[in-house]
Amino acid sequence: MSGTDIAFFLLALAAIAGGVTMLQLTNVVHMVIALVMTFVGIAGLYVLLSAEFVAVVQVLIYSGAITIIMLFAIMLTRHHTDERERQTTGGVWHRAVAAISVIAFGLAVYFGIRQLDFGADGSALSGDNAKAIGKSLYSYYTIPFEIVSVILLVALVGAIVLAKKDGKEAGDE
Amino acid sequence: MMNLAWVVPLFPLCSFVLLLLFGRKWGKASAYVGIAATLLSMLAAIGVLADRLGGTTHEVNWTWMTVGDVTLTAGVSVTALNAWMLAVVAVVSWLVHIYSQGYMVGDERFSTFYAYLGLFTFAMLGLVLSPNLLQAYMFWELVGLGSFLLIGFYYDKEEAKAAAKKAFIMTRVGDVGFFIGMLLLFWQTKSFDYDDIFRAVGDGTLSPGMTTVAAILIFIGAIGKSGQFPLHTWLPDAMEGPTPVSALIHAATMVAAGVYLVAALFPLYEASEAAMMTVAVVGGVTAIFAATIGLVQTDIKRVLAYSTVSQLGYMMLALGSGSYVAAIFHLTTHAFFKALLFLAAGSVIHAVRTQNIEEMGGLWRRLPWTAPLFLVGALSISGVPLFAGFFSKDEILAAAWMNGSVELFWLAVAAALLTSFYMFRLFFLVFAGPARHQGEAHEAPASMVGPMAVLGVLSVASGYIQTPWFGSFLGEWLTDGSYHHEAAPGWIAVVATIVSLAGIFLAWLMYGKRAVPRDWLSARAPHTYELLRHRYYIDELYRWTIVAFVSFVSRLLEYVDRFLVEGLARLAAGIVGAAASAGSRGQNGQAQTYGAVTVAGLAILVVIFALTGGYWL
Amino acid sequence: MTLSAYLALALILFCIGLYGALTKRNTVIVLICIELMLNAVNLNFVAFAKYGPHPGVHGHVFALFVIAVAAAEAAVGLAVLIAFYRNRKTVQVDEANSLKH
Repeated sequence: MSGTDIAFFLLALAAIAGGVTMLQLTNVVHMVIALVMTFVGIAGLYVLLSAEFVAVVQVLIYSGAITIIMLFAIMLTRHHTDERERQTTGGVWHRAVAAISVIAFGLAVYFGIRQLDFGADGSALSGDNAKAIGKSLYSYYTIPFEIVSVILLVALVGAIVLAKKDGKEAGDE
Repeated sequence: MMNLAWVVPLFPLCSFVLLLLFGRKWGKASAYVGIAATLLSMLAAIGVLADRLGGTTHEVNWTWMTVGDVTLTAGVSVTALNAWMLAVVAVVSWLVHIYSQGYMVGDERFSTFYAYLGLFTFAMLGLVLSPNLLQAYMFWELVGLGSFLLIGFYYDKEEAKAAAKKAFIMTRVGDVGFFIGMLLLFWQTKSFDYDDIFRAVGDGTLSPGMTTVAAILIFIGAIGKSGQFPLHTWLPDAMEGPTPVSALIHAATMVAAGVYLVAALFPLYEASEAAMMTVAVVGGVTAIFAATIGLVQTDIKRVLAYSTVSQLGYMMLALGSGSYVAAIFHLTTHAFFKALLFLAAGSVIHAVRTQNIEEMGGLWRRLPWTAPLFLVGALSISGVPLFAGFFSKDEILAAAWMNGSVELFWLAVAAALLTSFYMFRLFFLVFAGPARHQGEAHEAPASMVGPMAVLGVLSVASGYIQTPWFGSFLGEWLTDGSYHHEAAPGWIAVVATIVSLAGIFLAWLMYGKRAVPRDWLSARAPHTYELLRHRYYIDELYRWTIVAFVSFVSRLLEYVDRFLVEGLARLAAGIVGAAASAGSRGQNGQAQTYGAVTVAGLAILVVIFALTGGYWL
Repeated sequence: MTLSAYLALALILFCIGLYGALTKRNTVIVLICIELMLNAVNLNFVAFAKYGPHPGVHGHVFALFVIAVAAAEAAVGLAVLIAFYRNRKTVQVDEANSLKH
């Protein structure tokens, strides 16, 4: 049992605990906090996988930006009766069907990936992550890179347009 | 003319179709259509008869259908018997058509009546021309249908509806026997044709046991149709129909169909001792049984109905005693004088508007045409010498004696006594004595009297075609020359005459002169009187046994139908409904429901892939 | 640690996220669960980048792209949510059932 294994188990535990806790909590803000734990755990796993750059980006974007934006949305749409209402949609049937199908799906895929081994040890990846990513991003993946920037622009404009108040309402407010 | 014999039933059929289509528009003119059609039919029938008188049997068959290696044929057969029956039926039918014009006047379903008469006549003529059992069976059923429609003609009367149903169902019971017998014969001889069956009987293809069984089964059909005991109860109830119907169907033609059938299959019956005995015994028992009931009835038509049953018994007795000629002879004379009696009764009913003889009397002076004609018919049926009935009844008594069945002979003689007694009881109560009817009684119109007069003449004249003294024309012709008149003991005719006259005298004493009080018998033997008045309680017996049993079974089946069958149908509908409502619950507009269903489908696919190791298509 | 361990972990996270997306009532939580599913996918990519048949940075690059698109999608989704909230005064998923027959 090497150190990486222990680290893996702890981080995996953190990630899963965060996910499960998120499902069980009642307060929406608490759910988001639990999710942050998951994101950070996954970042740690990225480090174990010699993906330092991705780990840092994960922390920055996910547990930083996306969590904050979710919290903003929660606060903007807050109802004070949130905790007392039930948290899940549909009746027992709906939840049962969802649970059973998800578990069945999980088990089926698990049987597929159980013995998967390609024999690589991944030593070719350590160090100079940022440099390697930068190289391939600007040579091999240039076009997707540009397109992603366009996507971000479009998302920005779209979000503003969608969430803008109507002219009339702005005048009344 | 014989090879155009198939034309004879067609005229009434055309009348039926035309009247169904246009009758309502033609109204009273429908009578002329019916009369014209039956006139043409009658002329054609007489032509066929004239032709056959000199010639030999003509038969023509057309292939109807082929099933496997069996070919069914339909056709026309003009034997002596068929030609004779054709003429009798056509004549009586024509006369009844003319009479109905006067009797049914003012009825709002006048044209329908004539249409039904046409249908019936077509069926009866077709029955008589059939060369094979299958065709005969089809026309037999059609005749039953015509009878049903006509008995239930006044369909707003409950009794009429019930009587029509009773007639149809009871004859149907007999028809089952006919059908099974027919199938047995087909099974043994591979053919329905009369000729093939007779050949099979002759050369031994048909075993004696099978012959007896088939003969008796077919006789059961005749029992139903001809109203023999025990299937006789429908005939008196059938008097609910209009009187012309009673005259045509229940006196002259349909009920004679049973006698005709046995006569047409006579070689089959001759081959079986047991069958002949059965026929004779049933006939004899029926004759006396019905006569006793007729003694105490008070409805004029019912007395005549029981008289018909009794006379048909005589015909069956003749057949069973081996004399086919005597039976057909009596069938002919009976057709004429019974039709006359019914038509006269109809005229009386038309005059006094009641059917209860207790409410009639003294009509001799008021109905100057009807009364003498009724008397002619009564004399004929009573077997008074010089009238037709005397000759035909004498033939039957002679046949019974010569066959050796002494008990049946004396039964027949007793029945003859009773016959003349009740007929003249009827005559005296209706026409003699003080008038007891309400209102004015006027004579019938010419359209009603005319046919009665013709029948009156026939009731006397038709006797002379077959007598020991003037020549046996009918016998020789019917049997193609093989008939020889056995010298029956002369005393039979004497006994018959004495018995008839005695019956008339007794009736005169009791009802004419009133020398003997009317309740002479009923006071001394009240139980017997009640038994006879209630027709031996046979109707009640049937109701408590057979009808109750069938009602029980039908109620049971109704429950099965309502709960089981309908339950299953509702279950099927319910399942579909439940599936539908379950399905519609999945369309609730919730995105997560759709998502859950999608993931469920995905999970199923993935599981299948995992289990089958790849694509399973 | 073996490849299959990472893949199994990613599968568990994916399933948790999927269940939450299907059953949670608050729209924001549904969006969060979708993010969790995307994270699981990222983990898969990075694991294959190290232990897969062709080790390299391609997995990392793809994971970066996923993160970018996920962020854009979260932004637009929340904008729609705000608009919906303004209209209906609720963020519960089962109140968004105007398509029901």
